[in-house]
This record gives sequence, C-alpha cells and structure tokens, in this order.
Amino acid sequence: MFSNNYLIKKEILVEYRNNTSLFLITPTMAVLILIFPILSENRFVVDNDFFIINQLLFLIVFTTLFSIRSPLNQNKLLRELNFGNIRRKDFFIYKTISEFIIFFPQALILLALFSVFTNTGIQNNMLYFLISIVFFSINALMVNIIFQMFTSFSNRFVQFILMVPVFMSLSFFVAPIWLGINPNLTNIYLLMYLGVTLVIFSYTNWFLERD
Amino acid sequence: MSINYLSAPNLTLGYENSIVIDDLELSLDDSKDYQIIGGNGAGKSTLLNFISNNFHGNIFDSTVELKKVRILEISSDFTLIENLSLLENCMYFTKNTISEKDVYKALDEYEITPFKNDLLHKFSSGMIKRSELAIAMLINPDVLCIDEPLNYLDKKGSEILAESLKKRSNDGRSTILSSQEPLNLFIRKCETIDLNV
Repeated sequence: MFSNNYLIKKEILVEYRNNTSLFLITPTMAVLILIFPILSENRFVVDNDFFIINQLLFLIVFTTLFSIRSPLNQNKLLRELNFGNIRRKDFFIYKTISEFIIFFPQALILLALFSVFTNTGIQNNMLYFLISIVFFSINALMVNIIFQMFTSFSNRFVQFILMVPVFMSLSFFVAPIWLGINPNLTNIYLLMYLGVTLVIFSYTNWFLERD
Repeated sequence: MSINYLSAPNLTLGYENSIVIDDLELSLDDSKDYQIIGGNGAGKSTLLNFISNNFHGNIFDSTVELKKVRILEISSDFTLIENLSLLENCMYFTKNTISEKDVYKALDEYEITPFKNDLLHKFSSGMIKRSELAIAMLINPDVLCIDEPLNYLDKKGSEILAESLKKRSNDGRSTILSSQEPLNLFIRKCETIDLNV
C-alpha cells in the first residue's frame, strides 16, 4: 500500500544509507551481545547472576541505539518541503509511518533478545503485549522526530543524554505488561499508554506544522 | 491572464533586531521576469527567500498581499538529498508524477544522465547545481527563483541554463534571478529590483 509512496521510500532509503542506520547497528549490537557473555564466561550456559547487571546494561545499550538518529535541520527541511511542494501534514503522516516501519522490528528484536538472555518469558496475553510495543514504537519515534529537530544545533552525545531518560520512562510502561499483572490492571496500563501516545502524537503534529 | 501574486508597498525585512531590507516597494507579476541586484549583504538572498516562502527572519510592520502560485527556489545552499541518487531525487521532488521518459529528457538536457544512479554526496557543486536546475525545469513552477544562477556552473552549464530560461519565457513562466551584477540571461525585457539604492 505504502511501498510506492515517495516520502516513505525516501525516508527508508536515507535511513538505510545512513552510516549510523538502525538497520546496521541493531543487528551488529545484537551479535556482540550474543557473543560477549559466551566469550567472557567461556561457556554456552550463563548463570542468572551474570545477568543481574547485564539486564540493565542491555536495556541501556538498546535505548542508546534508538537515540542515535541524524539531526533534522528545520530550516533545511522546510526548504526541502517547499522545493517539492510537499504539505507539512503529508510529511508528518508519512514520516511517522516510515519511522514506524524502521522502529517496530527493532523494538521486537530488542525484546526477543532481552527475553532470551534474561530468561523472562512474557507473562501476559501476546496481543496486549504487542499493542504495548506498538505504543512504545509510536511514542519513541515521535520523541525522536522532536529531538531530531531541536537538537540539530548540537552533537549526538547531547541528543543521547536528553533522549535516554525519555526512552527509559516510555519502556517502563511495557514492563508491567510483560511481567504479567492481572487483566484489569493491564487494561488500565494500556489505556494510560494510549493517553500518553495521543498527547505525544498531537504535540509532535503541532510542533511540525507550526509556523 | 497574469496574476499579481505579491504586493508589498513598504516591505521591511530583517533578522532579530537588525533590518536588512528597509521600506522596499515590491510588486511581482507572474508574467514578468525580474532580476534582483545588489552587493554583498544588500539583502538579495533575504528577499528571494521571502518571495519563495523560505524566509525565517522578521517581517517588520509591512503590509503584504499574497496570491497562491507555485514558487520554487534554487538557493545558494543545496536542497537535494545527499543520500539519494539523482534519479531518486527526481522521483522524490516530483512526487512520482512525471514519467521516466520526461525525467531522462531533462537529465539529458543538463548532460547528467550518466550519473543518474550515483548518490548526490559524490557530486561536485556544479553537478548538484545542474541537478537542481534539471529538477526545477521538470517541476516547471509558475515562478522560479534562482540565487546567484551562475555560481558553480561552467560555460556549458551557463549556456544550458540560458536555453532553459528562454523556454520558460516562451511558455509565459516567470523567473527571478538574484546576482551582484545584471546578467544577460533573459530573452525578454525584465524588471530590475536594485537593492544598492
């Protein structure tokens, strides 16, 4: 449906050819994380103790990955949109879709690896869990779009410092659903997450479309 | 029928508290060609950005009347996307609405067809300028603004540009050029906006 859309195609191609592309970094880091404990412990089965610190490190490493994005210069972007006669609304919609296509699989890879390495299976209905990941991805990419714009003045380190706490707090919503709280509480959590998503979505929309 | 798409009897533009263009009387018609001339810092790029809706400074106490026409600007900073190939840039900026045959025709005109699959970050400044001009001619806007049109272009490139501007004039399209000195690129009589005075 969207494969022939000029905006989605452009965003994905640019991401694919970016030196710090998530398409490149996530699999590389995943392999490193897979190999590291095996090399350090010199065995294939790892004690639970080993992962007490690693669980946190693991989360931080992947949060960092999501934070490494090319800055968007707002003036340059507006010039580009004017050149192509592209409406800001269209840009926002298709930018969101293309970022979702980039983010969602990365989030799934992260969680699958996390699940395997920390030996914590999902203690909840898979559908609820997937919905929470969809919310996580939408929020993460919205935050990313905003940060990509107003951190264009600075380097990626500053971007990373600012974004990691935001990403960590977004991921805290996923944790209880993963760990298996009762169905009523799950619904409340999902509703809260939906509310947060709507607020962030509206704010980003306004941020991009304002004069 | 011509349209007076921009009318400002007392245009004052600037950045923060400093004024760059002071009380300029401006009236632009989409059937005429214009050239903006002025020295360094006279406000040529500021005015061109304002006309093409790419201005990010302050408009001080000016009355501006606008009518909607398609205006495209080729500025001194390149707009094309470096991580896309020339052909992908063509498709992106024309929103996939122009046939490949027409795209190749425009690229042929600017003699850049052999580089159609190369990424733009490998291009020289002159090649990027030719690419932007080719895409602009493909889009064929009502008004085309070019800042320092001959910058980066070699002799052949300048000749191709002059030929393209001739075609635009024959089609009744408007072009606005900005430069330090008057340029002889138009075939029909153009109006001059002199920012030196």
